[in-house]
Amino acid sequence: MPLFKADDEVRVREALGGLDRPVELLVAHGPEETPLPGAGDIDFGAETERVANGLAELSPLVSVRVEEQPDGFARYPAVAVLPEGRDVGLRYYGLPWGYELGSLIGAVLEAGRAESSLKPASLERLASVEQELAIDVFVTPT
Amino acid sequence: MLLAYRLALASPWIRASAIEATEFPALADSLDVQAVPRIVVNGVPQWDGAVPESVFVDRILAPAFE
Repeated sequence: MPLFKADDEVRVREALGGLDRPVELLVAHGPEETPLPGAGDIDFGAETERVANGLAELSPLVSVRVEEQPDGFARYPAVAVLPEGRDVGLRYYGLPWGYELGSLIGAVLEAGRAESSLKPASLERLASVEQELAIDVFVTPT
Repeated sequence: MLLAYRLALASPWIRASAIEATEFPALADSLDVQAVPRIVVNGVPQWDGAVPESVFVDRILAPAFE
């Protein structure tokens, strides 16, 4: 089954065509938690890898690396989005599918920007942060 | 979710993770995730739902200046 419908694929390919710099997707496999009932027989790790590879097929600037339990991951499966191969702390934990596929695509687009898309006022406030902040956003695919 | 990623890209002090709640039910339960998006900062639940960028930045940075 293809990752995107034909017209969606065209849109995603066009969006990825605007990347300013390479983005690597590091797919991390490892022991997986038992999901809620209803998940069926989905192989979350394999599907996560398929999603990452599907995105990489749409842009020469997007690449995929797959590792077993690499450092820096709290759970599996996961994808780290690495601008120019650098780990700046962007993670997607779980299979990015349905509505949340858009979050992973958005992460790639943001990581591929040479300049931040935040407003100047936000960047000014961020410049004064000197304490580690870990933001976790819980999402669902629907 | 994108705002969190943008903040992480803009500051070396900030990390951002999306967590698929149904795949990690034990973690979601421990943080009493009832609605999404639920935003958690440094392990402490903050709020549910989407907010404008200025509000998001204010709320995220609040713990750093307490």
